[in-house]
Amino acid sequence: MIAVAIDEDVEAVRAGCDGITYPVLIDAEHIVAELYAISNVPTVLMIDEDDNIVQPNWSAYASDTFRELTGIDSEKQMDHIRAWAKDGTLRMSPDDAKGVVGDLSADEEEARLVFRIAAKLRRDGDTDGAERNFERANALAPNDWTVRRASQPLRGVNPFGEAFMEIYTEFNEAGRPYHGVTGH
Amino acid sequence: MTTNDIVMLEGGPLIDAAGLEDALGWTLKPEGLCKDDTCVIVNDRAALFDGDRLDVTAVASLLDRPAATDAESGLVAIGAPREQRRAAVNDMKAPDFVLPDINGLPMNFSDHRSKKKLLVAFSSW
Repeated sequence: MIAVAIDEDVEAVRAGCDGITYPVLIDAEHIVAELYAISNVPTVLMIDEDDNIVQPNWSAYASDTFRELTGIDSEKQMDHIRAWAKDGTLRMSPDDAKGVVGDLSADEEEARLVFRIAAKLRRDGDTDGAERNFERANALAPNDWTVRRASQPLRGVNPFGEAFMEIYTEFNEAGRPYHGVTGH
Repeated sequence: MTTNDIVMLEGGPLIDAAGLEDALGWTLKPEGLCKDDTCVIVNDRAALFDGDRLDVTAVASLLDRPAATDAESGLVAIGAPREQRRAAVNDMKAPDFVLPDINGLPMNFSDHRSKKKLLVAFSSW
């Protein structure tokens, strides 16, 4: 298992890492969100011994914390993961798996680059420049959580307050877009 | 060691031709845009230039890489070649990357080849 935090707050990530023995990586530049067309977390992939993606981007959970919002039973998902680890059984056939992750749109792609500019400006202390570019990125990809939601803590917005409901409402109205598959 | 194929430039998109190799790893030669043994044919060489300087975003576009500029700060972000993401979404091949762990030690995804891998993207937000 390799965990990748689409996040630049190392201390916040470390706080959840007690007792964890697998690698936990910090993706401050959102490179994995660009390379794998990841638009929300958690996103899980199963990748075989030859680096073939046998389970593409999957909205899978390790607990039922968000069950009320997602309707997803994490235990069933964990069973799929255990079965694959044990004997290679897959929840999707290779034919079904192919093509379920739509490529990023031009706007979603650009939003990742503009987010990267904003994050750099923030780290360099240019708060106005950061805000200008976070707004531009969010306008390009308003329903991409790795852009809009990820920008909130960097802009001093509490991501668990009213701002969450604002994004969540728009996300629902847009039909819960996700680059990948959801469900058990 | 892998390096992630993303670039952040300062000072705007116009660069000296000599700076192209530093910026993107490619060089403009009479036969085209070249890197190692590979050359990409440039049909409209003038389109890559603004005056006597190269527009690095035009070069990126020719190399099928996305680019975004913030004119006010002069920052230019250039993304990975799109073929890397297409390998994932179309061909189901996992692109390689290198990232630091929480202690700052770099780890290559490809170090885990020949093992089954559960790749979990998560966040604190």
